[in-house]
Amino acid sequence: MIVAEDVHVHFRRGFLRHKLRALNGLTLEVKDGDFFALVGQNGAGKSTAMYCFLGLLKPTSGKVEIMGQVPELGSSLYKDIAYLPEEPHYHLYLTVEEATRYYSSLSGKRVSNKAINDSLERLGLAQFKTLPLAKCSKGMKQKVGIAQCLIHEPKVLFLDEPTRGLDPLIVREFRETLREIHKRGATIVMNSHVLSEIEMLANRVAIIDRGKVVVQDELSNLLTLNQELYRIVFEGNGTVPEYLTAVERTGNLVRGLLPKARLSDFMEVVRTSGLLLLECSLKKTSLEESFFNLIGKETTTTEANRSNREVGVS
Amino acid sequence: MTELLKANFWADVTFYRRSKLLLAFMLVFLLLTALQSLPPLFMNSGVQSFNSLQEIISDLNFFLLLLAGGMGLLIVSSHLRNRSLKMVFTKPCPPELWLLSAYLSAAATSLFLNLVVLGSEVLLSLLWHLPVRIGLVFVSAETFAVSLGLIAYLVVLATVMHPALAAIVAIVFNADLFYQFDVWTKAAIRSGNSSLALRFVERLFHGLYILLPMVYPFDKQTQNIHTSLRVMRGEWKYLLFSLGYTLALSAFCYCVSLFALKRKNHI
Repeated sequence: MIVAEDVHVHFRRGFLRHKLRALNGLTLEVKDGDFFALVGQNGAGKSTAMYCFLGLLKPTSGKVEIMGQVPELGSSLYKDIAYLPEEPHYHLYLTVEEATRYYSSLSGKRVSNKAINDSLERLGLAQFKTLPLAKCSKGMKQKVGIAQCLIHEPKVLFLDEPTRGLDPLIVREFRETLREIHKRGATIVMNSHVLSEIEMLANRVAIIDRGKVVVQDELSNLLTLNQELYRIVFEGNGTVPEYLTAVERTGNLVRGLLPKARLSDFMEVVRTSGLLLLECSLKKTSLEESFFNLIGKETTTTEANRSNREVGVS
Repeated sequence: MTELLKANFWADVTFYRRSKLLLAFMLVFLLLTALQSLPPLFMNSGVQSFNSLQEIISDLNFFLLLLAGGMGLLIVSSHLRNRSLKMVFTKPCPPELWLLSAYLSAAATSLFLNLVVLGSEVLLSLLWHLPVRIGLVFVSAETFAVSLGLIAYLVVLATVMHPALAAIVAIVFNADLFYQFDVWTKAAIRSGNSSLALRFVERLFHGLYILLPMVYPFDKQTQNIHTSLRVMRGEWKYLLFSLGYTLALSAFCYCVSLFALKRKNHI
C-alpha cells in the first residue's frame, strides 16, 4: 500500500545554508488495511515522512510509493486519500461551512448539503457554521479538518497529531469513528505523541529516531508480557520484603515488582501478615516503555559511537 | 475538472471579498474619487467638467491597475504564507488548476470592477451633462487588458519571492524604468558608442521593457483616445493588439508560476 525505501530528505537552513537531515534512510512499509502509527520524539522526522508520503515534499533520494504510484501534487491518486494536517493550515477567510464544502468539493465527488450538515452536526460545529475559520479556536479548526477528512469515506487516511486541541468528548467520538473506518477496510497512517492513544487504535507501529525507523512491528509484539516479573499492589504500613523492586508508596498503598521466583514467599507474607493484596499480574510492557527502551538504547549506542569516534576507537 | 475550477474560483472570489487590505485600499480610492468629483458640481463650464472627468477616469483606471496587481499578489502570497495549499494539493486538484482559477478569479473580479468604474464614468458624464463617449468603453477595455498582464506578472513575483519584495520589484523595476534605460542606451549607441556590450545591454533593456506588463503596449497609438475619449474607426484594432499582448504575457507568466509552484515544498 505505502512503501518508503531508503528515503533521505535534506534541508538547507540559515544564511550559510547548513544541511539539516530530516530523514536519514527511512524505510518502512504500510500494508493494506493497517492502522499504522508513527512514533518518535519531536524532530524525529514523523511529519516529514508523512509529507513525503503525501507528495508535499520531494525526497532528496529514495523511493516513496502509495498504491503503486509516486505521489504527485494534486494527482488523481488523492481521490481516495484524506489528510488531516498537524497545524490548522486552512483557508482562514472561509467560514466553517464554506471550508467544509470547499475541501469536500475538491475531492472531485459530489457532496450533498445533507452530508455537510450531518458532518458539522456530528462534530458539534452546526452552531458555528457561519463563523470564519480565522475566528475559530484551534480545536474547532481541527474539527473542520476532521469533517473534510471523513466526509468521503477515504481508503487511505493520513492523520498528523489528529486529537491535538480537541475536547475529550470529541476525542472519544473521533477514535470510535477511526475504528469504524478501519473496520471497513481503510488504511490509516497516524502520527501521535499520545502513546496511549496509539495503543488503543494502531495495529502496527514504527518508532522513528533521527530520521530513520528504529523498529517497525506489530503493536502486539511491542507490548510483550514480561514472564519474569509480577506487578503487585497491596495495602500495608509495615516493612516491605527486600525482594520487591521499584517500590512506590502512596499513603498506605504500595506498588512494586516481584520476581517470579519469589511469588510463593510473597504469598506467605501476605497470608501471615494479613496484607490486603489488590493486584498481582504479569508485568506488561507498555508502548511507552518500549519506546523509551528503544530510543534510550539508540541514543546510548549513538552517543557511545560518537565518543568512540572522538577518541579514535573504530 | 469544471467542478474543481468552480470550487477554487468561488473560494478565491470570497478571498477578494473578505480581504481587509483590498477593501481598505478600495475605500481610500473611492473616497479620493468622491472628493475629486465634488468641484465640478459647482462648475458651469463643460470644458472644466470634461477635464475633471478625464482626471477621474485616469485616476480610477490607475487604481484599477493597482488593485489588479494587488489581487494577483495577495491571492498567491497569502495562500503560500498560510501554507493552506497543502489542503488543496492533497486532493485531486493539481497546481495547474489552482493557479488557473486564481488567475481567472482575479481577472473576473477585475472585469467586474472595470464595469463598475465604466458605469460610474457614464453616470458622471450624464450628471455633468457631458456626451457619453465611446472612448470610455475603449479606455476601460484597455485597462482591463493591461490588468490581465499585471495580475499574471504579480502572480509570478508572489510565487518566487516575499510579497513585500514582489511589490517593490513591481513598483521599481517596471516597464517605465527599463524604457528609460532603453532610451539612454539607444542614445549612447546613436552618439557613436556601438560596443557589443552596449548593444547587448540595449537589447536586454528593450526585452525587459517589452516583457514587463506595467505598460500600455500601444500607448502612442491610443494617446488621443485617452485625451479626447473619441475612437476612430481604425483604432479599435489596438484594443485587440493589447489583449493579444497581455494574453501572451499571461500565458508565459502562468508557465513560470506553475514551474515555481511545483518546485516549492508545500509543508
